[in-house]
This record gives sequence, C-alpha cells and structure tokens, in this order.
Amino acid sequence: MKNPPAIDLVDAIARGERSAAEVLEDSLARIEATDQRVNAFTHLGRERARKEAAAIDAMRARGEKLPSLAGLPYAVKNLFDIEGEVTLAGSKINKTHPPAAADSVLVARMQQAGAVLVGGLNMDEYAYGFTTENTHYGPAHNPHDLARIAGGSSGGSGAAVAARQVPVALGSDTNGSIRVPASLCGVWGLKPTFGRLSRRGSYPFVHSIDHLGPFADSVGHLALCYDALQFSDALDPGCHALSVQPVNGKYQQGIDGLRIGMLGGYFSQYAGPAAREAVATAGKALGVVELVEWPDPAIARAAAFIVGASEGGALHLAELRTRADDFEPLSVDRFISGALQPAAWYVRAQRFRRMYRDKVNELFKHWDVLIAPATPVTAPAIGTEWIEIGGERHPCRPSMGLLTQPISFAGCPVVAAPLWPQAGNGLPVGVQLIAAPWREDLAMRAALVLEQSGIAHLKAPSL
Amino acid sequence: MNEAEVLAYVKAAAVAVGIPLDDARAQRVAGHLGRTAGMAQLLDDVSMAEDLEPAEVYKAAAFPVGAA
Repeated sequence: MKNPPAIDLVDAIARGERSAAEVLEDSLARIEATDQRVNAFTHLGRERARKEAAAIDAMRARGEKLPSLAGLPYAVKNLFDIEGEVTLAGSKINKTHPPAAADSVLVARMQQAGAVLVGGLNMDEYAYGFTTENTHYGPAHNPHDLARIAGGSSGGSGAAVAARQVPVALGSDTNGSIRVPASLCGVWGLKPTFGRLSRRGSYPFVHSIDHLGPFADSVGHLALCYDALQFSDALDPGCHALSVQPVNGKYQQGIDGLRIGMLGGYFSQYAGPAAREAVATAGKALGVVELVEWPDPAIARAAAFIVGASEGGALHLAELRTRADDFEPLSVDRFISGALQPAAWYVRAQRFRRMYRDKVNELFKHWDVLIAPATPVTAPAIGTEWIEIGGERHPCRPSMGLLTQPISFAGCPVVAAPLWPQAGNGLPVGVQLIAAPWREDLAMRAALVLEQSGIAHLKAPSL
Repeated sequence: MNEAEVLAYVKAAAVAVGIPLDDARAQRVAGHLGRTAGMAQLLDDVSMAEDLEPAEVYKAAAFPVGAA
C-alpha cells in the first residue's frame, strides 16, 4: 500500500514553505473571485481569520510544535455557533437572535487544532431540505455547473470545497445533508456514527437523528479533520462516544481481508445510470463480488421521515403559530404537516428504529463495508420539481435523500466518495462507503483505496 | 384517510396546536400529511412485540451529581 497523498497545505505550513497568512489570503481571494457566482458563503470573518492565521505563524516563528490542522482554512454551515455572530441556520427568523456567546464545540475543536475559520456557509432553512435553494439568501450554485443545485442541506459546505474556496468545511447530516451535497458537488464527506461528535453549540433540526461532520478535498484532510473533532462530550446528551478513536494510523492499512459488498434491491432500484455506473466502478476497485440486501430500507426511510417531520415541526411550533410567512416557502408546509402528525406515528417510528438497529448490526456481522450510491442522480437544475428514476417520476427535492436516509436512521458511519462516471457528462455522483456503527476506520480504509486508485477525487471547476 | 378526511384532520389538528391556516395552506399541508400517512401505513404493517421499546429512552441523571 502506498502512503496516503501528501496533505499539502498542512505539510507546507508545518515545514515553513508557506505561512498560514499566505494560505488564508489565497483562500479569501478565491472566495472574493468566485462567490458571487457560487453563493456558498453567508458570512466572511476576515478579522478573526487573520488573527487565527497570525497566531499559527507566531507559533512557528517561536519554534513551537504546530497542532494537526495548523493554518488550514475552513468554513462552517451557518448552524454552527461562531462567537459574536448570529447563528442563522439558513433562516430569516433567526436574524433577530442575539449573537452567539461562544463557539460551538466543534468550532472550538478546530481552533484548538490550529485551523483558521473563514466564515459561515449557506444551507437549507433549518436544515430541512436536500437542495439549498434558499429563498432568503439565494441558492447555493454547483461549482461544476452554476445552473444546478449544490445539494443540501449543507449545500454551501459542499460548494465551498468544490469551488476550492476552502479545503475543509463542516456540515450537518440528519437524513443525508453531508452526503447529498458531497455527491452532487464531487467532494469527500464523512457522516460519522450517530453520537460520535458533539453537537453542543449547533442549531438543531431533529434531535434524534442529527449528526455533524466534515467535508474535505482529500481523504487525508478528511481524516485529520475528523480526528481533531473527536471528543467525548459529557455535556451533550446526544454525544455517545465513550472514547476518542482516531482513524489516523488505521485508514492507511488498505482493504486486504475486508469483506466489502454492494447494496442491491432498493439501492439499485432508485439509482439512475450515472449512480449505477459510479457504484459499479467503485465496486470493481474494491473487489466487490456480491450484492447485499439492506434490511427494510423503505420502511426505515418512512420512519426517518416521520421522526424528522415531527421533531422539526415541534421545534418550530411557536414561530409556525405566529409568523409562518417568514419561513422558507419550500419547506414551511412540511414543517406544519410535521407539527400535526399523530403521536402514534412518531412513537411507532421510534420503536421500529430499535428493531431496525438490531437488523442492521446483524448484517455487519457478515460485512465490513457496504457500498451504495449517495444520490439517485447527478445534480438537477435549480428549480427542478420532478426527476425520473428507473422510468418513474419522483418529486425532485425529497428524492435526493432516497439513498441516504435509511443509512443515517441506523446511525452507521458513511464516507461519501466523489466519482465522475461517464454517464454523468462531467458531473459527479458520490458513492457511500458504509460501515458498522463506531467503525469509521473501515469506511476510511476503503475511501483511501478509491482515492489512490485514481477513481475518486475532486476536479477543478471552470469558474 | 381519503383526501377530504386528511384535510379535515389538518384543519382540526391545526386548531388544537394553535397554527392558523388559510384554505390554500391547509390544502398544501394536507397534501404533505396525506403522503406521510402512506409512510405511516408502512410502519403500521410491521409486526412489533409489545415489549419493543422506542430507540430513544429517557435516562435518569446520576444522583447525587457525580455518582456512578
């Protein structure tokens, strides 16, 4: 097994070949040059970024050992608290909230690791969507075709990395909101195990299913970032990690001995030609020979939908009563519908989740990594209402999460790997590398093999 | 539930939780809730043992604070 690709920026700064200030100014210049067209950013924090970069350069000048992400520019979905900034969560309503008193836990972790925060990123309002067609702040545009969606709800995160504005970004994923934009923008994304990373200081969507995680331009950056974020947070009731389990040192081990299968059935039925080609290409590189049936994917998607709508609707009930017209027009009716769901639907969905978890864990007794497309299709045009999959017409916006929703409901860790199938006509589609809960290392091992084989990677957009 | 029943439910439930709805919004919400009802039917068809507990359960905090 070859060594992982050089982690260029971090290495160059650590060796003193580039200063953190220079790397930051390159990032800011790229944002200035491209973001009027991409619309990934909702907030640029130049002053803070320059202070953080200067602190790294000062550490190096003093001869101190630099932390793992020293000088790496990054940005966060605007549902992460940033000290002194209002946490918009993609909404107009939250604009009147007071500024955050402190950074969210994960932003603080990134700062401790030496990363440089550049700003906040566009998203679907309150994370309820898969397209980032945000009416208040404008849609995030796909850097590979500006007329197309970036995916969502962490669309700004996917677009910012794809546009080479920042090498790393943070997002959230309840039903696919890291994996869908990673797939449609052609970048790496990691949705860790449910409960792995602290959510303290981030604006919630669905407490029972919300995950946070990184996007990156390489597997090396993804691993560095994920390891820096790990922290057993006793103050977050949603953080179930008992220990830090770094992937560095493990993800470079290759895939010899790993049992890797490809999900069939539902995951093939809802995959268009480009998605099928991408997963077949990944499967060949990973030595996959067997199709595997995931347990009850359609029921799991239904249960995830019901839990999400109910908790999301209840969370925003006060504003739905008094100022529904200030919500995102594309999702306000779904929020209201969720707030009206009978309690029996919700409870049944949560009871199903327990039996579902056991069935999924049973499957992983026989497999180490399972692969499936991340989205049914490549990025549709902004404003698309309907798409066709396998000869059937489906509503575009919810269908972007058809293949991700069943996986996150089980809480499994997933790496989204960016592939470029011929059928995509220049557009990417992601492949999900799925492992058993708490085994991010296995998914990352498969990710590195795909990167080193040359089939999963970023492409420079012609912006 | 048929379409009229879903709409009637939406209007009644909105009153119960205090969300004002005009007719156009009630119709749109009913469209969403009708589709969710189809999803709920999938779950209704799953056989569940009576002792199957929800995935998320309340956990009492340690007391006194700091006790195992």
